[in-house]
Amino acid sequence: MSGDYHGDDDHEHQSAWGPHDWSHGAPHNSWAPIIMSIGIGIFLYTVASAYSWGEMVDPASIPLIFLGLMISFFGMIIWWRQDASFDGIYEPRATGTPFQNIQIRKVAMWMFLMSEMMVFTSLFSTYMRYRLGLTPCVEIYESGSWIVNSQTIDSGEAVNCFLPASELIASSWFHIAPGAINTFALIISSFTIVQALRWAKKPVGSVDEEVRRKRVYRYLGSTWILAIIFLTLKMVEWFVGFYIPEIEFLGLHEHDIVSLVNEGYTIHADHYHPHHGWEDTHLAELAAANPSEFEEYFANIASIEGGYVTTDAVMMADIRVSTSTFFVTTGTHGAHVFIGIIGLTYMTWKAWTGGYTPQNAVSIEYFGLYWHFVDLIWVLVFPFFYLY
Amino acid sequence: MSEHKIFGQDIYWANFIGLMVLTAIEVVAVGSEFSKAMTLFILVGIAIPKFIMIAAIFMHLWGDKDSKILTLTALFPTFFIIVMVLFIGLTHPEATTGLPEWCRPGYYKL
Amino acid sequence: MNKTKIHARSIIVMSILLLAMAFSPLVSSFPTGISGVKDSGCNCHGATTSESVIPTIEGLPEVYNYSETYELTVGFTGGPSTIGNINLGGFHLWASEGELASNDATVQTYNPSEVGHTEIGNDQTSWTLIWTAPASDKNIEFILHTNSVNGNAGGGAGSSGDEWNRLTAKVSAPIEVLEQANPYVVLSTLIVISAILLVITVTYIFYRTNPDSFNWKTFEPWICEWLTSTDHKKVGTLYFLAGLFFLGVGGIMALMIRIQLSVPGNDFLTQDQYNQFFTLHGTTMIFLAAMPLINGFANWMVPLQIGAPDLALPRINAMSFWLQPVGALLIFTGVFSGTGADTGWTGYAPYIVSETAHVGTTMWVAGQIMLVASSTLTGVNFLTTIAVMRAPGMGWMQMPLFTWSILVANLMLFLSIPAFGVGLVQVYLDRVIGTAFYDAGSGGDPLLWSHLFWYFGHPEVYVVIVPAFGVISEVIATSARRTVFGYRSMVYAMAGIGVVSFIVYGHHMFTSGMSPTLRFVTMLTTMLVAVPTGIKIFNWLKTMHRGSLVYRTHTLWALGFLVTFTLGGISGMFFPSMAMDLHFHESYFVVAHFHYVLVGGTVFGFFSAIYYWFPKMTGRMLDERLGVLHFLTAFISYNGVFWPMHRLGVWGMARRHHTYFISTEEAMGSLPAEAAGWNMFISVSAFLFFFSNFLLIANMIKSVIRGKKAPADPWGGWSFEWMTSSPPPTPSFGHFNHGEWINLPTLKDSNEEHIGNDPSPLVKWFQSLMVLDDENEEVNN
Repeated sequence: MSGDYHGDDDHEHQSAWGPHDWSHGAPHNSWAPIIMSIGIGIFLYTVASAYSWGEMVDPASIPLIFLGLMISFFGMIIWWRQDASFDGIYEPRATGTPFQNIQIRKVAMWMFLMSEMMVFTSLFSTYMRYRLGLTPCVEIYESGSWIVNSQTIDSGEAVNCFLPASELIASSWFHIAPGAINTFALIISSFTIVQALRWAKKPVGSVDEEVRRKRVYRYLGSTWILAIIFLTLKMVEWFVGFYIPEIEFLGLHEHDIVSLVNEGYTIHADHYHPHHGWEDTHLAELAAANPSEFEEYFANIASIEGGYVTTDAVMMADIRVSTSTFFVTTGTHGAHVFIGIIGLTYMTWKAWTGGYTPQNAVSIEYFGLYWHFVDLIWVLVFPFFYLY
Repeated sequence: MSEHKIFGQDIYWANFIGLMVLTAIEVVAVGSEFSKAMTLFILVGIAIPKFIMIAAIFMHLWGDKDSKILTLTALFPTFFIIVMVLFIGLTHPEATTGLPEWCRPGYYKL
Repeated sequence: MNKTKIHARSIIVMSILLLAMAFSPLVSSFPTGISGVKDSGCNCHGATTSESVIPTIEGLPEVYNYSETYELTVGFTGGPSTIGNINLGGFHLWASEGELASNDATVQTYNPSEVGHTEIGNDQTSWTLIWTAPASDKNIEFILHTNSVNGNAGGGAGSSGDEWNRLTAKVSAPIEVLEQANPYVVLSTLIVISAILLVITVTYIFYRTNPDSFNWKTFEPWICEWLTSTDHKKVGTLYFLAGLFFLGVGGIMALMIRIQLSVPGNDFLTQDQYNQFFTLHGTTMIFLAAMPLINGFANWMVPLQIGAPDLALPRINAMSFWLQPVGALLIFTGVFSGTGADTGWTGYAPYIVSETAHVGTTMWVAGQIMLVASSTLTGVNFLTTIAVMRAPGMGWMQMPLFTWSILVANLMLFLSIPAFGVGLVQVYLDRVIGTAFYDAGSGGDPLLWSHLFWYFGHPEVYVVIVPAFGVISEVIATSARRTVFGYRSMVYAMAGIGVVSFIVYGHHMFTSGMSPTLRFVTMLTTMLVAVPTGIKIFNWLKTMHRGSLVYRTHTLWALGFLVTFTLGGISGMFFPSMAMDLHFHESYFVVAHFHYVLVGGTVFGFFSAIYYWFPKMTGRMLDERLGVLHFLTAFISYNGVFWPMHRLGVWGMARRHHTYFISTEEAMGSLPAEAAGWNMFISVSAFLFFFSNFLLIANMIKSVIRGKKAPADPWGGWSFEWMTSSPPPTPSFGHFNHGEWINLPTLKDSNEEHIGNDPSPLVKWFQSLMVLDDENEEVNN
C-alpha cells in the first residue's frame, strides 16, 4: 500500500530468514516476530489445557506444549541468524538531547529495565501486602489459639497464616548454603561479564586477536556456567534436597537437607505442619492463665511438665499464600535468569566464532545491563525472601 | 571509557570483592541471634550499598560521560515504585474497621 | 480585528455549549437512593450463601396451561433460623414470564415478575402466592432466593449470621418452545463473515492496484512482505486494519447487548451469555480496537514527525504487532462454545479464580499476558525513538504535540502495565497450577487484584485518550491555520496527567472496602487530575478563537470531540466524590461517562486522525461528502445511544445486569416505565451508529482504489510528515549506507516561525545533562 518501498536504495531485497547484511541498516523484513508470537500463543494455550487447578487434566496436550516451545525457539533462531553477522557497522547513536551520542540500543535497554523494575515492584508489593496482612504462623502457634479453635491434625481444620520461607531456609547454615552460593555465583557472573566486555573492547592492535577471542569466549562461557549453577542449585533447593555425609576430620555430622517441596512447603500445602520446633513456653503461660479454655485440650492431648507444654497435637496451617508468593517471586527471577542463559548461549557461540570486535563489543554491554539488573533483583530477593 | 582504577586496584575487581564481603556479612548476620527488627535493619542496610555498588560500577552509572542522563532514566520510576509500595504493599482491606468512629454504626444515639 | 463584528463561528460554538448545558441530565434521585435500598437499610441477603439453607417451591406444574392460576408455596428449611428467633426468614422470587401476585399480607408484589416478603412476613419460613401462567408458549424460569435469619441484631439491620441460598426451577409450555436464535451462532457467524469480508477486501485491493499481475507469483511476495515487514509504515497499517476489524467485532458484541436490553425481561441472552458478551465487548474495544488504532497512528506518524527513518527497534516493533492477533485468538477462545470469559473486562477476584468462571477465562488471561508483552515492547520502542531519534535541531519543545502525546501515553503504559501483567500471571497460575494468590479460603486477598488491575487500569484509560488529545491538537491547529495556543502548557498538562494518573486509581475501588485513608487520598487526586485536562480544552478553544477555521471532515470530528469529550469529562466529575460514587457505582451513569470519553473522546479523535492522515498514508484523498455524511449520521446516532444512559443511571439501572424490570411504583430494583422506552431508543440508535460507520469503511476502500491523488501537504500542515511525499518512501527519512546515515532532515527544513520556542529554565537544566559539545565529535567507539 505504500508504493515504492525501496526508496532510492538499490540493494537487493534481503532475506527475511537471515543472514542479514547490516551495512544497509536493520532488517526490513523478518519472519521471526510472527513465528515467535504463534509459538508463544500455542505454549500458553496448551499449558492451560494440560493443567487446571493444579492437576493434570489432559496429558495429550503435553507434546503440544513442547511444540509451542519449539516454534518459539525456531523463531528465535531466525532472529539470531539475522543478528549473527552483525559486526557493529550499524550501531546507531542518539541524535536528540539529552541522550546525544549514546548508543540507541543502550537507551532502549535502560527503558526496558524501567519496566522490569515495575514487574518486580509488583511482586514485592504482593509479598509485602500478604506478609503484613496475614498473621505469622509462629505467632498463632505461640498464642495457642489453634488449640482452642481445633485447628489440629486430628480435627482436619487448618489456620490461615503466613509462613515465610526463611523459617525453613534460614534455620540452619546448610539450608542457606544453596541460596548463599547462588548469591556468590551471580556476583561472580556479573564480574565475568564485565570482564568479557572489557576484553572485547580492547582496541585493535593492543591485544592479539586470538587472545581476545579466547578471553571473551571464556568469560562469556563462565557467565553461562555460573548461571546454570544458579538454576541448578535453585532446583536442588526447591525439589531435590541434598545429603551431606559425616566427615570425621572436619567434625561434620551427617545432614540430610530436605528440599522445600519435600518438607511440605508447596503451593498446594493447605494442611502444613511445622517440622522445626517453635518455642512453646508461651503456651504453658497461656494455659496457666486460661485454664478453662485449655481444659479439654489438656484432658486429652497435652500436659504441662516443668513449665513446658508437651503435646502430640500438631497445628495445621494453610500456607498456600506464603508458598505461592515465594515460589512465584523467586521463580520469576529464575525465569529471568533462564532467559539470560538463552541469550548467553547465543553470545558464547558468537564469541567462539570470533564475532566480537571492538566495533560491536557494546552488544555485550547491552546484555550486561540486563544481567546486572538480574543480579540487582537477586540482591533484594535473597535477604527479604530467604533470610528475613 | 572511564577510569578503571580505584585506589590503585582495578575497579571491577574491587567492586566484586566488596560485594562478596557484604554478602558474607549478610549471611552471618542472619545466623546470629538478633531480634527481628535488628535483622531487618541490617539486611536493608546491606542491600542498599550492594544495590548502589552494582548499579554504579557494573552498570557504568558512575563516572561515564553518559552517566548523568542514564542515571536519571534509571531513577525515573522511583516515584511510581513508591506509589505502588505505599498503595498496594502497605495497605490492607479495612472496609469498616479502618473508618473513623463517627462514621461507624452506633456512634449516633437516636 | 473589528471588535463589534460578531463571528458566526463564535455564535455556533456558544450555542452548542448552551445547548449542551440545557440538556444536562435532571438529577432527581429516589428518596431511598438509587440502589433502591429501603429506609431500614435492610440488605435482605445475609453475609453468606450456605448449602444448609434449602429453598423449596411447591405447586409448580411441569407443564402449564394457558392463563391458568397456580397457588405456589415457597419456603426454606435449614440455616440458623429456629423457632423463637425474632425473625425467621425472607424470600424473593422472580418469574421470567407470567404474573406473580400475592394473596395475603405476608407477600408483596414489586412488579408482575417479582415478589418478596413483607415486614409481617418476616416471621415465617413459608409463604403462599399466586402465579398466573402466560397465554402463549414460553419457557419459564423461576429464581428463588430464601434468607434464613438467626434473629440477632448484628450486622446491617441484623443480617450478621444470616444465610441464604437460591433455587431455580423451570416450567415448560404446552407446546414445546424451541431454543431461540442461539446468540453464539449469531456471533460466530458475524465474526466469520467479517473476517471473510476483510480477506476479500484485501485481495480486492491487491487486485485493483495490480490488475495485470493478479496471480500467485505476484501475490506471494506481496503477502509475505506484509507478514514479515518491520517498516513502521507497514506495521502501522497492520495495526490499523486489526484495530478497525476489532472495532467492528466489539461493535457486534455491543449490538448483542443492546438487543438483549431493548425490552425489559428479555431472554435473547441468558445471564451467563450476557456476562460473556459484555466481558468481550470491553476487552475487545480497549485492548484490541483502541490500543491498536493508537499504535497504528503512532507507528505511522511519530517517525515522520520527528524526522526519523524508522523506529528505534524495527523487529521488536513487528513483534509487538504480531503478539496481538495471536493474543486475540486466545482471548476469544471459548466464546463460540459458550465457555468464554465471563468476568467483565476488569476480571475481579475472587470470581476470576473460581471454578464457576468459565474455562475460557484462563485463555482470556493468557491472551492478555501476550498483550501485556506487546504493550511493554511498544512502550520501550516509542520512548527510545522519541528520546533519541529526533532530527538535529528538534529539541523536546519543538516536537509536534501528537508526538508528545504518544510519549506521555507510552510512558504511562509501560510503567503501569507490569502491574497488570503480574496480576494476570498470578491469576493464570492460580487457575492452572493451583497457587493461592486469590483463593479466599487460604487467606488470599481479592483486593490485591483490584489494586494491581486498577494501578494499570487507570493509567490505561489515559493512555487511550492522551493520543486523541495529540491528534486534536494537530487537527485544530492545522484547521485553524495557526499554531496551538500555549504549546508549553499543553506539554506540561499532558505530562501532569501522565504522572497524576498513577495516584488516582483508587476511585475505581471506592466501594470495594479498601483502606479509607487511600479512598480519601484518591478522592482528592482525582479531583486534581481534571485540571490539566481543562487547561487543554481551553487552549484548543483559544486556538480556534484566534485562527480562521476551515471546515474539513477532520475538523468536524475534532469539534465533535470537543463537545463529547467535555461532556464526558463533566459527567466524570461526579465520581471523585466518594459519597456520590457509592450511589453511581455500577450504574448506567458510569457507562454513559466512560462511553462519552472513550467513544466520544478516543474514537472520535481517531476518526479525525483518519480523515486527516489518510492522504499521507495512502496517497489518496478521502471523499469529503461521504465524510460529512458519516460525521452527521455517526455523531447524532452516537449521542442517541449514550446520552439517555445518564438518565437511566440516575434512575438506578445497573450495569452488567442481563436484564431489568420496570414498574409503576418505586420498588426495589426496578425502573420507571419510561426506562423501557429509552432503552429501546438506545438500542435503535446503536444499530444506526454501527451501520453509519460503514460509510467510513466504504469511503476508505473507494478512495484507496480511485481517490484523487494526494499532494504532499493537502491541508497546509507544517510538521515534518507533510514535508515528505504521500505516501512516504522507505526508509522514511534518509537511509543507512555502510556505516553512515545519509540525508537525515534537520529542523531548518520546516517552517521555523511556527515552531520556535525559547527553552524555559527547566528545559535548559535538562539540556545541561546532555553530552558536552566538544564530545559530539567522537562518533567512533
